Amino acid sequence: MKAKHLRVMFSLLILTLAAIVSVFPVFYILAMASHGESAFTMDVGLKAFTSADLHNFRQLFLRTDFLIWLRNSVLISTVVALVGVAMASMSGYALARFQFPGRSWILRSILTTQMFPASMLMLPFFIVLTKLHLINSFVGLFIIYSSTALPFCIWQMKGYFETLPRDLEEAARMDGLTSWSLFIKVILPLSLPALAITGLFSFMTSWGEYMIAAIVLQDPQLYTLPLGLKSFQASLATDWGLYAAASLIVSAPVVVLFLALSRFLVSGLTVGSVKG
Amino acid sequence: MIRRLGSTVLAALFLIVLLLDATLAHAEAERTTERLQLWHNMIYSHREVLTELTQRFERENPGLQVDVIYRETEELRSSYQSAVMGGSGPDLLYGPSDQVGPMATMGIIAPLEDLLPHEFKSAIDPLALVQYQDHLYMVGDKVGNYLMLIYNKQLLPRPPRTTDELIQIGKKQTVDLNGDGRPDRYGLVFNFTEPFFFVPWIKGFGESFFTADGKPNLNTPATIAAFQFIKDLRDRDHIIPAECDYEMANALFKQGRAAMIINGDWSWGDYKKAGIDFGVARLPMVSSTGRWPAPLVGATGYSLNPNLSSHRQALALRLLTFLNSEEAQLAFVNAVGSLPSRLSLRTNRAVTENSWLMNSAELMAVGEPMPVVPEIRAVWDSLRGEYQSVLGGNSTAEAAAARAQRKSLKQIDLMNERLEKDSSIYAMWLLFMGLALWLFFKSWQGLRDILNAQAGSLRFPLTLAAPGIIGILLVVLYPFGFNLVLSFSNFSLNTFRDWSLIGFHHYWDVLTDSAFYTVLLKTLIWTFTNVFLHVVLGVALALVINQTLPAKPLWRTLLIIPWAVPQYITALTWRSLFNREYGPINQFLTHYLHLPALDWLSDPLLTFSACLITNVWLGFPFMMVIALGGLQAIPEELHEAARVDGAGALTRFRMITLPLLMPVIKPAAVLGCIWTVNSLGVVWLVSNGGEPADQTHILVSYIYKSAFNLYRYGSASALSMITFLILLGLGFVLMRKESEVVR
Repeated sequence: MKAKHLRVMFSLLILTLAAIVSVFPVFYILAMASHGESAFTMDVGLKAFTSADLHNFRQLFLRTDFLIWLRNSVLISTVVALVGVAMASMSGYALARFQFPGRSWILRSILTTQMFPASMLMLPFFIVLTKLHLINSFVGLFIIYSSTALPFCIWQMKGYFETLPRDLEEAARMDGLTSWSLFIKVILPLSLPALAITGLFSFMTSWGEYMIAAIVLQDPQLYTLPLGLKSFQASLATDWGLYAAASLIVSAPVVVLFLALSRFLVSGLTVGSVKG
Repeated sequence: MIRRLGSTVLAALFLIVLLLDATLAHAEAERTTERLQLWHNMIYSHREVLTELTQRFERENPGLQVDVIYRETEELRSSYQSAVMGGSGPDLLYGPSDQVGPMATMGIIAPLEDLLPHEFKSAIDPLALVQYQDHLYMVGDKVGNYLMLIYNKQLLPRPPRTTDELIQIGKKQTVDLNGDGRPDRYGLVFNFTEPFFFVPWIKGFGESFFTADGKPNLNTPATIAAFQFIKDLRDRDHIIPAECDYEMANALFKQGRAAMIINGDWSWGDYKKAGIDFGVARLPMVSSTGRWPAPLVGATGYSLNPNLSSHRQALALRLLTFLNSEEAQLAFVNAVGSLPSRLSLRTNRAVTENSWLMNSAELMAVGEPMPVVPEIRAVWDSLRGEYQSVLGGNSTAEAAAARAQRKSLKQIDLMNERLEKDSSIYAMWLLFMGLALWLFFKSWQGLRDILNAQAGSLRFPLTLAAPGIIGILLVVLYPFGFNLVLSFSNFSLNTFRDWSLIGFHHYWDVLTDSAFYTVLLKTLIWTFTNVFLHVVLGVALALVINQTLPAKPLWRTLLIIPWAVPQYITALTWRSLFNREYGPINQFLTHYLHLPALDWLSDPLLTFSACLITNVWLGFPFMMVIALGGLQAIPEELHEAARVDGAGALTRFRMITLPLLMPVIKPAAVLGCIWTVNSLGVVWLVSNGGEPADQTHILVSYIYKSAFNLYRYGSASALSMITFLILLGLGFVLMRKESEVVR
């Protein structure tokens, strides 16, 4: 009994240390949001946090287009998450349950697309979007974001579907369900954790993305949050206070989503193996 | 459940309708007015004036609308390049004068001399009419952008005139007020590791770093003496902090914790707002030579997109003329106190009553015009690396000066090379043909298989899989093909508009360059260390959490934070955590562990470690969650049975947990490897683009740099193809290993 007690104490100690390390940088951003760049030269300790100042937060909402950026980001990320979940669950299911020509080739090439250095994709993206007249339009972003998040999402959905027992489908087929209604009425409801995580992942990809948004969106009215955030940065004249305050607000929804979905996170995140 | 799904779909539809609505409304507005676009790099306070001015312009020109878009200087350059290459881009571009050379060479800004009337040009300071190879490419509205000594009048009644005085005053002003052995106030602060802040001193020691005809002149006694001078300020006289970037220098000065700062005229407004009573002076004369350091004087101004129809060009010129009118420039003088380029305004009261502006003539008298030739880029680049290695104690000043000269000459050659096709072009065509044949064969084979199979049984899975797969291929295939073609081309600064295919040149070049293998080795170390630590930390923490513990969800949540906060925010934060003087990490080391402070951001190995630590912090939660999922899938009975058999905790971990966890971890680790190789952001942000001395690059950041810094797109594409092939090979090895385990 005593040994167990000791073990719990020890575990809690480790977790406390790990938690401090993982949260500390966020507190540092908070100090910056209150004190601007003077936080850079402050001594550590609670001094930085005692005199929290909401000036930068007020400034953010009243004097910048923060709310417009927020609306754009919510819109884009939501659509991308929904499209991503729909496409990934369909492709993932096909790859997990059916044998068809080119299946293993497809699986491998999906992984291959992750191997190309992203920085080199910018110029060709720009050229093709210009030709398709998709510059300055959310549609261009939807297409690129959905497809860049897809490879991981497909893998993740495929991995999850493989953990579902096959008997289920056989039983449903006995009851006379068609393939489509089996997929929609039986498989999808069972996959809620994985669907939630896949959605979260697509959402995050577009929520925090900067480089592609910067080439596609040129009208300030269409800016997403990362673009707006970047406009507080200038070479040799960054407004660190505003930047930090905005960073915190940008992070908040993602953290809340994580919290809301955390019960799904552990059961829903499964990266399938290559062979499958 | 189904109902919930239904409502989600409804919500999605609603959103899409909303969005279409917005797009349509947008199109509506476009039809009635003509929109001019202006891209600029103005800092926040300047942006407000610009917005006001463009609104005035819109009022005076009904039917015209001006879209003003801000981009940070470096990004302005690269996104403008891409935009004009893609056949679009803004009508007007506003930026610093040193971008004129490269852009004129690429043919992406238009010559202006015949488009503007003589009276207009003659009213403007020649310094602001930026020429390159006898053509006018930029009309500047502000002159300046130069460095000076700014001093806090509260601390210092009179600025030092010479460097001896500077050191003497600096020593007196560097004080430790609370006796903790660390200065609480510095004599002098500035962003001294950046070459822009260093080159004025070279002139002070007797020579220009750049000859009049555009050649670097770095291997001189003056450069060597200047290297030594800055190093002495830091190591012998201790009047500047051991590590000081721009943000820190600025913060210290604004808090009255530095008596003097070297900074430019752009910072005046900021200091005024911070309530600092400051004066400005020349950089102090070098005592040993009796010469003044020469700050580079530049202009910022407007250039014209060459892709415009004559109608749009006329509109753009109207805007350019308006933004350079007396009224517009006066608005800037009044709001931000910049030096106007219109000569008639120099006698205006707004200028003559501004004591800083009145001083600027005296300060600029010793300056040199900012070189606009493209070659300057190569000089900054080579100088930065060598200068930082002198400061880091890794090289003597003499050797560094010689190397900087050699390197910049070599880079200039590389930048200006105009490659012709060689015989390897036939091999390239063979390769292309082979690829086409292979693709054709594969797709034909696939099609045949599909046709041969019972169509009915395949329809369902193929319909399901198709949208996702087609989406991925569409988005990835074109860029990939584009890159493949570029990697065989001579696309670079000089061939921006007329590049052609040349063959395997860039591939040979990369593969025979020893620097490539150094970076490759670093990339491999980077990747494996990262993934190893991610897995070890992730699994360890998952094991700890997976026991019966109080407040389990809370711990899990806290540990997921690094994953949830966007990367570009946290990576920058980590950079400040690693700061030598004030970063919490060093403070922890010195205060609690009584260890010496570490040079996290100026020692190559430590900087690499700093990037590594940041990336480990970012990546462990993902592995932890994966491992938690795997652990929960292991049936408790197995452990019970083993316990009954008398197996200890370690044995159980080795015999049960580990083997059952492996199939879950392995695919995640493969994916982790691929992501880590491609993690540009962390390395770029934490090491500030490969500092010190380009020692901390991994392949992706190396590619990024060569593409956008030296305009060598062809070479960068080849490099990225090679990186891709390496990853492909690595992926196959890892996947084969994995399938052996999984079967």
